[in-house]
Amino acid sequence: MTIRREKAERLADEELMPLIGEKDPEAFEVFYDRHGGVAYSLAYRIVGEKAAAEDVTQEAFISIWKSGARFDRARGSVRSWMLSIVRNRAIDALRSRAGKAPKLTFDDDAALEQRPAEELTEEEAMRNETAGELRGALGELPGEQSKVIELAYFGGFSQSEISRMLGVPLGTVKGRMRLGLEKIRGELAEGLA
Amino acid sequence: MNEGNHEHWSEEVAAYMLGALEPAEAAELERHAEGCEHCQAEIRWLTPAINALPEGVERLQPPRELRERVMAEVRFDAAPEEVAAGESTGLFGRAGAWLRELGSGPMGLRPVAGFAAAVLVVAAVAGFAIGGGIGSDEGTQTSTVVSGEAPGVTAKMVSEDGSGTLHLGNVKQLPSDRVLEAWVQRDGEVEPVEALFVPDRKGKASTELPDMDGVEVVMVTTEPRGGSESPTSSPLVTITVPQ
Repeated sequence: MTIRREKAERLADEELMPLIGEKDPEAFEVFYDRHGGVAYSLAYRIVGEKAAAEDVTQEAFISIWKSGARFDRARGSVRSWMLSIVRNRAIDALRSRAGKAPKLTFDDDAALEQRPAEELTEEEAMRNETAGELRGALGELPGEQSKVIELAYFGGFSQSEISRMLGVPLGTVKGRMRLGLEKIRGELAEGLA
Repeated sequence: MNEGNHEHWSEEVAAYMLGALEPAEAAELERHAEGCEHCQAEIRWLTPAINALPEGVERLQPPRELRERVMAEVRFDAAPEEVAAGESTGLFGRAGAWLRELGSGPMGLRPVAGFAAAVLVVAAVAGFAIGGGIGSDEGTQTSTVVSGEAPGVTAKMVSEDGSGTLHLGNVKQLPSDRVLEAWVQRDGEVEPVEALFVPDRKGKASTELPDMDGVEVVMVTTEPRGGSESPTSSPLVTITVPQ
């Protein structure tokens, strides 16, 4: 059973997911068209190569196609779930390429678990922000804060590894991560006010 | 949960959300957070900041081929399973005739070695209707009748509304100066399909067949980069189209 594309385009992501779970290619095509760009961009930001970014994006979307029925809307937005999957696979690819055994157990269920359902309204609002503004949020952080956040989120490094890489105490890394995220969060809240 | 440890765990929440804890540390924090309202509240508070990070990356336009590959795999997966070999010998016979014609024709192709024994996948599932099909009351046709001399290569073709998509699997990587080119036979004439394509790293390759009207047979060959006006190599696969 498939639905017409025009109808699928009118559905919210959360409404598309049950159809994807039922193996509806048209619903999935709409889903890809909505999120393929940001997924590919994130993958490229992490792995730094177009071919690898394509592989990561393809694997992530096929994973979603095969496991769409496992999405639980009570745990967060579809978009953040999808981006978590892309991020995790990109980090895995990065580590694999570096010949380094994954130090974290990333799987799609874990990504689900890490995304609470709260703040959906804010997430929707954030989606309407321009990417430039969001880049600005990270870019406006003091360099030492943006550095540890980028190394962790986009580089896949643990706080201990970052501590060693930067030659600063572990407690300092923890503090910079926390301060940086708090600042981004504060700016998002201001933007919504 | 032990609230007395909260200060310690509160320090870890940001690293946890950035994926920067070791697995054991992350698992421990999760166990703590299950019973710690403070940590739960912090996680909820910081979640939008974490979600903002991927949204802020510089936007790139993904290549069109990526979309095609993803959707080809999706449609391949959504299509009915291939049926056992040997159920479509009549269709196979038509493909064989075409190949024999190619072998003796002006294109100078030799007959495919061991052609009769080279049926890799033979399946035909025609005319199954999908309720409320996309822009078509006729539904979708899937046909897979494959022969060729490339061991292990599989193929499936999905036709709908006069066009089709051909999905190949287990295709070996090509030299950089070679591409895949599809051909169709219509009224006995062989025509190239415009788009050239290559397999991805997993050996999957797909191409669109925009005009399937009257097409009897589809074939794929490897050709020099830029394609050829007529086939210059033996076919990897040959697919007969149910009429």
